[in-house]
Amino acid sequence: MSTLSRISHTLRRELFAGFASDTPGTWLYFRGVELFLLTYTVYFCWDWGVYIQQNISSVLLPLGLANYIDVSFMFGHNVALINAVLVGVLGLAGFFRLWRPAYLLALLAFHLQYVARYSLGEISHGSNLVGMGILGLGIALLAFRSEERRRRFTFGFLYFFIGLGYTSAAVCKLIGTGITWPDGRHLLMWIAERKVDTLSRFGAFDPSVLQEMVLHDYHFGTLFLLVGLLTEAISFLMWWRRLRHVVVLLVVGMHIGILLTMNIFFHASTYLLLLLGLPWHHIIDYVLDRVRTPVPSA
Amino acid sequence: MRFPRRALRIVGGVLVVYALLVATHLGEFWPFSIYPMFSQAGTPWTRAVVRELPSQADPDTLSWDAVSLQSLPGASYPLAPKGINQNDVANYVSKTDQWTDERVRGLRSLFTKGRTLSSPLFVFRVRGTLEADTVSVTATPVLLFEPDTTQLNPSPAARTVASAPPPS
Repeated sequence: MSTLSRISHTLRRELFAGFASDTPGTWLYFRGVELFLLTYTVYFCWDWGVYIQQNISSVLLPLGLANYIDVSFMFGHNVALINAVLVGVLGLAGFFRLWRPAYLLALLAFHLQYVARYSLGEISHGSNLVGMGILGLGIALLAFRSEERRRRFTFGFLYFFIGLGYTSAAVCKLIGTGITWPDGRHLLMWIAERKVDTLSRFGAFDPSVLQEMVLHDYHFGTLFLLVGLLTEAISFLMWWRRLRHVVVLLVVGMHIGILLTMNIFFHASTYLLLLLGLPWHHIIDYVLDRVRTPVPSA
Repeated sequence: MRFPRRALRIVGGVLVVYALLVATHLGEFWPFSIYPMFSQAGTPWTRAVVRELPSQADPDTLSWDAVSLQSLPGASYPLAPKGINQNDVANYVSKTDQWTDERVRGLRSLFTKGRTLSSPLFVFRVRGTLEADTVSVTATPVLLFEPDTTQLNPSPAARTVASAPPPS
């Protein structure tokens, strides 16, 4: 067996063999993740829609499809809000299995909303995992007819691309800066940057305990950055079922570290990782079994 | 075709599309990304701060010189309660190469679309640089938004990141 065949065989087994049993736990877990992704999609689209309508009037930096079409039509006449309604309707059509292309079309409208919202130059990554989730659901709904296969595909798809994304972030850091990336003085720079941002947003800035530690001695920053970089680098290990929950929870811990050191909270990504980081289907089945099992009378 | 094989083929197909799109769009084609945030550590950064001046302030007597963060004139003008994203303001002041009328109108509209200005707003470009083991932060005024007019920093060299002299 060639190396490529071995890798392919391993990935097929590790990514797509789980979630095969049709238990109430797997069903509820999958529908819960689906509902979570849909809720966040609608939330982002409305949040951005209102912001576009209120604040944006020109394109400073075209992203995605905005490189090919002029998205300034999204800035007036409530078009962004209408688009948000469209995403919601398509999401419901997908959730209730009324129309198989619904999720992929919702993703297209979601993409348009993103490129209109971030046309002023900021590149936000807070919604990428939710977008990947809708893509996984969209492909699953279109490519597979059985709910069991849709479920197995969506989870495998998510673990694959989330693991790849975080490891890619670590590689970017090593390419962009090199082996000195975890130097604690770099964290001093980011804390100063976040201080200015927080002053700009709220008019005041109070450092957290971890930030105080770094400001007192930047070597603490070296430690924090090193742990973060190593966590990102090993994220692809979530492709393996045996390591999955540990690795995903480590990534959740890294996000909490980012919150405490840099005041940045990727809420959608962190909550999604919490959903993917624990065997919720087993927990649900266990609880249901306990509820169903009659308690012997004394 | 058995399910796992077909599923992996689809993932492989998405991966190819992902790679092609990010390779041809500077690493970003939402929701695809190479996630390059914070990859260039230690490089100078540029952000923005907005200050509200007293309504009777005379614009002709204002200083357009760079100051430290502790010496900013006026009162703080927190953006979050106004529903303005500070990243958008920072992007305007850090990524504008030339303050055309459209750029000035675009930034002004962040503060005036759907609301009126009661006092002048002074927009500062804030730059941070690493010097030995400390971070040096300097704020340079870029624009003054008065209720009816807008003034740019009289020194063209101070208006944009590209033309601003490096901090001494």
